[in-house]
Amino acid sequence: MLKVKDGQVEQLGLLFERYKKILFGFFYNMNKDRDLSEDLVQNVFERILKYRKGFKGDGEFKVWMFHIARNVNIDAFRKQGRLPGEDLQNWDEKLGDDGANHEQQMAHSEEMKILEMAMARLDREKREVIVLSKIDGMKYKHIGDLMRCTEGAVKVKVFRAMQALKKEYLKIQAAV
Amino acid sequence: MEQQLSDLIRKYKEGKASEEDLQILEKYIETGEVELEALGDIYRLYQDLDGLETPAPSEKMTGSFYALLATTSKTKKARSQWFTNLWISVPSVRWAYTFGLLAAGIAIGWFFSPNGQDHTEIHLLSAEVKEMKEMMMLSLLEKESTSDRLKAVSLSSELPGASQKVTEALLQTLNSDENVNVRLAALEALLPYSSDPSVRTGLIASIARQESPLVQISLAETMVALQEKNSVDPLKKLLEREETPAEVKEKIEESIRILI
Repeated sequence: MLKVKDGQVEQLGLLFERYKKILFGFFYNMNKDRDLSEDLVQNVFERILKYRKGFKGDGEFKVWMFHIARNVNIDAFRKQGRLPGEDLQNWDEKLGDDGANHEQQMAHSEEMKILEMAMARLDREKREVIVLSKIDGMKYKHIGDLMRCTEGAVKVKVFRAMQALKKEYLKIQAAV
Repeated sequence: MEQQLSDLIRKYKEGKASEEDLQILEKYIETGEVELEALGDIYRLYQDLDGLETPAPSEKMTGSFYALLATTSKTKKARSQWFTNLWISVPSVRWAYTFGLLAAGIAIGWFFSPNGQDHTEIHLLSAEVKEMKEMMMLSLLEKESTSDRLKAVSLSSELPGASQKVTEALLQTLNSDENVNVRLAALEALLPYSSDPSVRTGLIASIARQESPLVQISLAETMVALQEKNSVDPLKKLLEREETPAEVKEKIEESIRILI
């Protein structure tokens, strides 16, 4: 990244190749919209190019990149007004259209769908802390840097988010 | 203390923890004395999250990124051209620059002996840039859009001495791209590397694979320009093909005459 900062913008290609999947996964798990997530990845790299001089080089590039990604994500949520997949009815329909063959497979995929649905019903902050904690190599300390809080506070945030997720999960399970 | 903690965890797992218990539990979590792993259901749910599927991003996303990168590089180059404009329009700038450069050169030459490390660094940097451009070019060559593929081919002309990977990709494009213009551009881009035996062989082999009259004629002309006698046989085969247009046959006959 320091090379990019010094004007060798072509070097950004290496960083893009390294992080495109992680970044796309972050957005996709936040909004479940493939096209939107791809656009948001592009927005992040546009901002990286624009604000490359702002990278101080004293921390990890990944954390700096996720600072930008979180802002891009917040902007997207503001623009959209509501989260996709919040509607319980849509999810009921989704659960219904599974023409599965094996009972076990069906049960598993239904569990996953309920989980997905429960995730979609969490507020953005809770969902975000879970998604971030699931990213490969993203330590609680890094998340603390992103959220401007201590590592311990991140652990509590994850715990609270998981509590909320469990509550939503059980609620949906009872309703289906 | 330990007993109190294990009681608390047990109560939590059984779903009997009060608000007050939860607050105490959070304190333990904050200090790291209790990890998520110890909390039963909630940890299983956390692990289940790994089963949620995330699709892979499409090639379109990669294409858009490299297009963005190419535009940014171009803008950067354009900005650096202001000095060139000044150079052309104000002659005194030219003189000032020339003398300045001369003085600096003498001073530097006087005080420093040549330093091999700097050269190595510059070489390393240019090698990295070259590698980057090659990567961009190869990725653009795979795009659906014709203009992207044309861009990729023209990018190869900016590479100072392309690698075998690049020449192979250009040969592949020459042989199989669906668009005639892209194939012609690939042929043109390959000319600077015609001294490479594998490129020559590739060009000769390509004669038999072409169906477009334009590419056939261009290849015949290239063979004459390269004085490549080994191309006579494949050119003759092209002559024998019924579907080869008369004008192309005429051109090929002329090329064979020159080559023999």
